[in-house]
Amino acid sequence: MKAKVSRGPEKKETAPQANIITVFFTSVRTTITLLFLLALCAILGTVIPQGEMADVSAGAGHSFVSRIAVILDLNNVYRSWWFTGLLVLLAMNILGCLLKRMPLIISEWKGDQKKRSFFLTLTDSRSPDELKKLFSERLKAIMKCAPKQTNSASGSELSWERQKIYLLGFPLIHIAIIVILIGGLIGVFFGFRGHVQIKVNEKSSTYALLSTGEVKTLPFTIAVDAFTLTRYPTGEPKEFRSDIRLIDQSGHELKGSIRVNHPITFDGISLYQSDYRIVGISKVSISIQSEDGPAETISVNPMEPLITTKGSGMEIKIRGFDPGSSQRGAGIEVVVSAKDGKPSTIRLYENDTAPVKIGGVKLGFKGYEPTYATGLQVGYDPGSRVVWIGSIMLIFGFILTLFTNIQRLNIELIRENDKTRITVSGRSKRMRKEFRESVESTVKDALKTS
Amino acid sequence: MDSVDLNSYLAFGYLGWIIAYLITSLSGRAALTAKKTLFWTLVLLFVIHTAAIGLRWAESYWMGIGHAPLSNLYESLVFFAWTILLALLLVWRKFRNDVIVFVGMPIVFIVMASTFLIDSQIRPLIPALQSNWLVAHVFTCFLGYAGFAVSFVAAVLLLIVRSWENPPSFFPKKALLDEIVYRSILVGFPLLSLGIITGAAWADHAWGAYWSWDPKETWSLITWMVYAGFLHARLTRGWSGGKTAILSVIGFAAVMFTYFGVNYLPGLHSYF
Repeated sequence: MKAKVSRGPEKKETAPQANIITVFFTSVRTTITLLFLLALCAILGTVIPQGEMADVSAGAGHSFVSRIAVILDLNNVYRSWWFTGLLVLLAMNILGCLLKRMPLIISEWKGDQKKRSFFLTLTDSRSPDELKKLFSERLKAIMKCAPKQTNSASGSELSWERQKIYLLGFPLIHIAIIVILIGGLIGVFFGFRGHVQIKVNEKSSTYALLSTGEVKTLPFTIAVDAFTLTRYPTGEPKEFRSDIRLIDQSGHELKGSIRVNHPITFDGISLYQSDYRIVGISKVSISIQSEDGPAETISVNPMEPLITTKGSGMEIKIRGFDPGSSQRGAGIEVVVSAKDGKPSTIRLYENDTAPVKIGGVKLGFKGYEPTYATGLQVGYDPGSRVVWIGSIMLIFGFILTLFTNIQRLNIELIRENDKTRITVSGRSKRMRKEFRESVESTVKDALKTS
Repeated sequence: MDSVDLNSYLAFGYLGWIIAYLITSLSGRAALTAKKTLFWTLVLLFVIHTAAIGLRWAESYWMGIGHAPLSNLYESLVFFAWTILLALLLVWRKFRNDVIVFVGMPIVFIVMASTFLIDSQIRPLIPALQSNWLVAHVFTCFLGYAGFAVSFVAAVLLLIVRSWENPPSFFPKKALLDEIVYRSILVGFPLLSLGIITGAAWADHAWGAYWSWDPKETWSLITWMVYAGFLHARLTRGWSGGKTAILSVIGFAAVMFTYFGVNYLPGLHSYF
């Protein structure tokens, strides 16, 4: 204590403080606390509706609660400053713990560490050389390798070592977590995710950011040639496919199709099939039945606005289309005008069975061919590769920790008078009891043989 | 007989096995041969369960919409029961203890019985699930869950034994239960990690984002954090016995919420 007091006054103030910080970042207690804290905060994010700030601020006005919600980013927990902060703290804490433990791991790797989990002392009348041969042979069954021999003035020593690679498991797992967290941060700062909706036969080179809705420009143009929706016989969707061409600024073109689970990557930017929308119709089937004549179904292109019926000379014009959200299905709005009458507007629905009667004819909406717009997700994440490297490291770390086991065994043979003193010591990271028992029984059995 | 019938019979089979175990134990015929018969009966039920999953797989191909039977709640429940049973059989073999298997079997029965209540039809695979990642992702996640289920059973038993002054002699010892609580998490944790990684790889491939903070993803991460906390508390802080048993129970509650509770929150995993 006195030595500390004799230090300069500046050091006296900073030393304990630095100490607290060091302890904070190198303590596993901090890791456990951070893990549980992060778990609690993550729960908060699944309970509070996320990304609905507009409603909250509009509803609650400038109340205290809503102000707190804004400061704490409660509608966007996972991207909030404090959640990111906790993740950064976790990464720093893991790094601290790792740095603190690395010297130990390195010394154990080099074999400097003499920590042993069990000792066994025996004596035998045979000479050290005889015993050396005996043990080398017998312990091969457990250690699966030949021992290293060292001779000193007082005696000799046999040492075995197996699966040292186990020691890499711990650093690998923890570096992996740090690498994954860094990859995540790279994605947050340098990546983007957006959405673009393009009608069939149209082009686009912009997209809207998912986070803010801001419109951005792509380094290439997406031209959509077709969108196909296939269904199973049961009616469930089987496949969504967009046939597209990607054209970069130099005119280079890539033709391909995007399906769910089958994205296309171009210029480092990936395009994913996300959704689709019916934006119009390309062909409409309308049934027309005059008072005396039979019903006839005609297919028309809505772009050609006029249909003239044969018998009555009525003009029918399609004015609007509604993809349909009600039980009645899709609907069209048509303007019907008799030869010399006033035009009237009616709505026809796909699922209505009875035709609508107007001006002496019955009209029915029989079906249509939709025009689609495909919804594509646009994504760029330079951090994802880092995350995958971290993931692979994590898997290897787990494999090493679970399926390998460092085992060390030393037998010291010292000749004393007419006897040899045998000191067996060993260390096993896992399955300690089993290792000790098998070594002890093998050594004792070996000594029993003459 | 189709796979759905087979699964129903299996549920009754498991109930029958539980009753048979009770009768054998209560009648004092807890001889080694009786236990051996019970073990092999359970192995036989497991083989039939495996066959039922295989049959359902084949049935989907006969219908022309072939896919692995891991595509909806019904199929995942049948598979969940299969993984728990597998884990229980491994525990029986490794730790030579059948009380824990007996206590775990009602979970297998309840999971199988709950399939009576839900739609068991084989449906075609929706585009989002048409991926080779499906099998790897579901397989690893559920094997991890099974490890956690076994840990949970051992933890509950441990908490009960701790509250008794003189636990009956046939009960597993506290040290053994503590070991099972820990060892099953040691196996389950890397499997869950692998499940999360395969899920992230799939999400990246299908949606362009390896992580979207969708409720199921978030809750699997919460589960992962609880078990990571468990392992660190045990390995470096020397926690054991009651404290880690409680953590194991909390972890399994998180697993259950990840599996079922999340369905009540909106998200991308709505098909499970």
